[in-house]
Amino acid sequence: MDALFAKADAIRPHKRRKFNDDGSHAKEYTGKKEVELDSTAKSVLRHTSLPKSLRPGSPPPNEAKKYSHISDKKLRAELSRQSAHSARSKVLLQDASFLLEHEESGTMEVEGELERTWRVGQDEIVESAGQEAAKGRREWKLDGGPYRSRYTRNGRHLAIVGLKGHVATFDWQTGTLHSELQLRETCRDITFLHDQSHFAVAQSKYVFIYDRDGVELHRLKSHIEPTRLEFLPYHWLLVSVGRTGYLKYQDTSTGQILTEHRTRLGACTTMTQNLHNAVIHLGHQNGTVTLWTPNLPHPAVRLLAHLGPVVSVSVDPSTGGRYMATAGHDSTVKVWDCRNWKGAVRQWTTRGGSTELEWGQKGVLAVASGGSVNVYNKPTIQQFFAGTTSPPLYMTHPIPHRPLTSVRFCPFQDVLTIGHSNGLSSILVPGSGEPNFDSSEADPFENKRVRREREVKGLLDKVQPDMITLDPEFVGSMAPPTKLTTDVNSKPNIPFARLPRQHRLKLQGRADETEEVSEEEGGGEGEEGKAARKEEEEKKRMRGKNKAMKRYLRKQRKNVIDPKAVALREKLQKEGEQRKKARDAAKGIQEDRLPSALDRFRT
Amino acid sequence: MRPGDPTPTSRNLDPLAHPFARARERTRALNAAKIERMFAKPFVASLEGHSDAVEVLVRKPKSLTTIASTSWNGDIVIHDLQQRTEILTLRGAHKGKASGLCFGGQNGDRFLSCGVDKTVKLWNTPTGLEQDTGEGIPSNVFPSKNAFNSIDHHRTDPVFATASNIVQIWDESKTAPVSNLTFPTSTETITSVRFNLSEPSVLASVGSDRTFTLYDIRTGKAERRVIMQMRSNSLAWSPTFPTTILLASEDHNLYTFDVRNLASPTQIYKAHVAAVMSCDWSPTGTEFVSGGWDRTIRIWKEGIGKQPEVYHTKRMQRVFSTAFTADARFVLSGSDDGNVRIWKAKASDKLGVIDARERAAMEYRDSLKERWKVDAEVGKVTRGRHLPKPIYKANQLKRTMLEAKRVKEERRRKHTRAGDTKPKPEKKTVVEREQT
Repeated sequence: MDALFAKADAIRPHKRRKFNDDGSHAKEYTGKKEVELDSTAKSVLRHTSLPKSLRPGSPPPNEAKKYSHISDKKLRAELSRQSAHSARSKVLLQDASFLLEHEESGTMEVEGELERTWRVGQDEIVESAGQEAAKGRREWKLDGGPYRSRYTRNGRHLAIVGLKGHVATFDWQTGTLHSELQLRETCRDITFLHDQSHFAVAQSKYVFIYDRDGVELHRLKSHIEPTRLEFLPYHWLLVSVGRTGYLKYQDTSTGQILTEHRTRLGACTTMTQNLHNAVIHLGHQNGTVTLWTPNLPHPAVRLLAHLGPVVSVSVDPSTGGRYMATAGHDSTVKVWDCRNWKGAVRQWTTRGGSTELEWGQKGVLAVASGGSVNVYNKPTIQQFFAGTTSPPLYMTHPIPHRPLTSVRFCPFQDVLTIGHSNGLSSILVPGSGEPNFDSSEADPFENKRVRREREVKGLLDKVQPDMITLDPEFVGSMAPPTKLTTDVNSKPNIPFARLPRQHRLKLQGRADETEEVSEEEGGGEGEEGKAARKEEEEKKRMRGKNKAMKRYLRKQRKNVIDPKAVALREKLQKEGEQRKKARDAAKGIQEDRLPSALDRFRT
Repeated sequence: MRPGDPTPTSRNLDPLAHPFARARERTRALNAAKIERMFAKPFVASLEGHSDAVEVLVRKPKSLTTIASTSWNGDIVIHDLQQRTEILTLRGAHKGKASGLCFGGQNGDRFLSCGVDKTVKLWNTPTGLEQDTGEGIPSNVFPSKNAFNSIDHHRTDPVFATASNIVQIWDESKTAPVSNLTFPTSTETITSVRFNLSEPSVLASVGSDRTFTLYDIRTGKAERRVIMQMRSNSLAWSPTFPTTILLASEDHNLYTFDVRNLASPTQIYKAHVAAVMSCDWSPTGTEFVSGGWDRTIRIWKEGIGKQPEVYHTKRMQRVFSTAFTADARFVLSGSDDGNVRIWKAKASDKLGVIDARERAAMEYRDSLKERWKVDAEVGKVTRGRHLPKPIYKANQLKRTMLEAKRVKEERRRKHTRAGDTKPKPEKKTVVEREQT
């Protein structure tokens, strides 16, 4: 038996002594604490070499938290493993952060004080641009009425539609025409579906879906008199809004109408999507902008943006949908912060009635109004400014064919396409397109096979429409703690054994309360006042209660051990401790907080 | 670029270039979990050859394909797993139940069987190359006065141990037992005996007196004995942790003990809804398989005491014997219906050649499942198992009873004087008494 135990003990970590010339390695191994190995790994260490992926590699960084206060060995090991892993990956992320820094974003810059970037015209830009980039400057003279356009997500294909029914889709870089249709009825909008193989047109009565060659596939009879179309690519939803004021979601993967919302705000001619949370922004005739998800029967946000009808809305993709720009018939353009709707960040007036807006991928805002397109650049349009003067202009381009009915930036290209009554013209806007594409998301150079594969993968990865919310980061984050409502007169009326585990631990005094402490610690300057007020309220509320309780305790005879009184005394003592803790926190005395399992969710 | 070259890719790590990255990853994880359940077809084959319940399943050492089984009518069959054929069939090798079988020697060139007919028989293992003559005739017979319940061979020496009402050590060249091992004052029937794999002079047994005893053949006596709440049906030493032993208990649970501390088990494995009849470790020591009276097989991870993989089929009756194959990819079960069944150790494992891309996709799916296992929907798909109605109902009933017991205990404690009784952790209640 002893031999057996000896054999078991022999599986202790095998002490490796390395006698190097400099002795530096030997020092490393004789350090006071070695990296804890997996016990299975230990048992085979002597006879084998571990694969590289299983070797402990570098010691965990110093930020890795120690969970020495947790008594459960398994849990402790798992938590320390996780924290070491997350600390390592944080270091790796920092290491790779230079890949994300874009020092020069390809914008035009002035050399002297007196120079202005907007004085540079298209001819000059085309001259100085490379041969391939200069192809973006085009003029399409067409006589189908004012035109609207739409690019595919990879920026390779363009769909155009004239009001009188001229529809065309083509690869604008090679000039290959996919389809050209004369529909002979009013067409108000066009959009590609998941890729260039299908597109939808908002025609006079219904929405129609065509395939790449222009063959009519579907007539969507439930979308009546549509005016604007949007496609949510990750949810495979075609969204339309029309003269009837109904917002309709149709799932293009199953063909089902998902929901239809009655906006109750009349005919709507302005719609855009937020790429980062798939929320639909509508602009209405009474000057309100409403934000819709398929899951709410009413708008998630209702905002009175303008004094007249809203004519154009756009959301900034470069900041994750944080800013929204609106333009109204009252000749103003407003930039809004989507986190805080109290007043516009910046507003200015434009000349000419109807205005069209669009944000580019890198945060360039194009405003087409009157007879010209003005382009504004990033930092100034998003900074708060009390006046109504327009922000410094980045570029301007006059177009003599009024009205200007659409502006679209081409993804991954420095190209802006403007639709007007005489066709379309595309101009070069340096620094407007993202230079680095990700081929797993949208690849401008994809071939037929990759396009097919992406279609299948996209269908498999389709996000369910019920996950559309204003905050897309709720997926994979922690659920808020449940409130226990089973207490009767502050006494639980369910047996201890049937209580949820967290509550049981709390009653036993074994719950890990470290997270709650951390929340009190966190918070900026603005929240401090609120927290203080809340605390004050709590204090006031507690005072009266405490008095009665103390009276009760006083009246209890000291030599009788009444469990109720004992519990109350304990509770009072605990509250006193908590108050002291809070006082300390207010004074700024930091208490050594034990690391918690949830620390890794904190940024 | 030439035709056939992989498509060039470019990456942009900016999170803004990947909208809904988390939501899409979750969808992918959910799909991965569903795909795993869709491909979970664990049953591989059924080996016939027995006409009564299969009592013992043993794999031949140093062989991936050869296993031996015995049945209640005294038959012994040696199966070839690859060909799914019988290498050797000994009809009526014992009168009555052939209750034990073990291979001897380093390569398993001979095997011993014992039965309730009070004999141990030594046989030669057929090589499978040519038809052996003299089949069906044991090369040696060891008679005894008692019916045998179990047999196990020493790993290196020509010594074997049998279990009847005592544990006896035999030498292969002698017809009488070399020594008798018994705990003083013990009057029980020993049901199973096993040699330790790394310290082969130590052996353990379980008996009908709810006991679990450790012996050493060098000292020739029983070292320790533990009396538990319920009797154990089977035991197995861990192949990688020399001091770890696994017990399959009548109280629906399995227990791992570290023999250095027998006061409480290191882990309780709870899922069976009837007595556990057999257990066997995977050669890696990280998993083990158990078969139960509830007609299911469960595959456990060492140290994780709940939610094992569960296998069942309509025609499989009480499972009396289970075994892992030597490559840890398959699990064998022998049941009351006389069939030996082959199952995959991982239910959704793909058999056959897997190319690098497929392997990478599988690993990616596994990591997704691991990462999103706490998500309610993903977890529900990965953890949920459809069970036959009787097992489901039995499980429900068992849960209700345990819960009621717990609540009753809780209420009783609530209405007694504070500090009178302390709740006892379940691990501490398993062992009733430890004797040395």
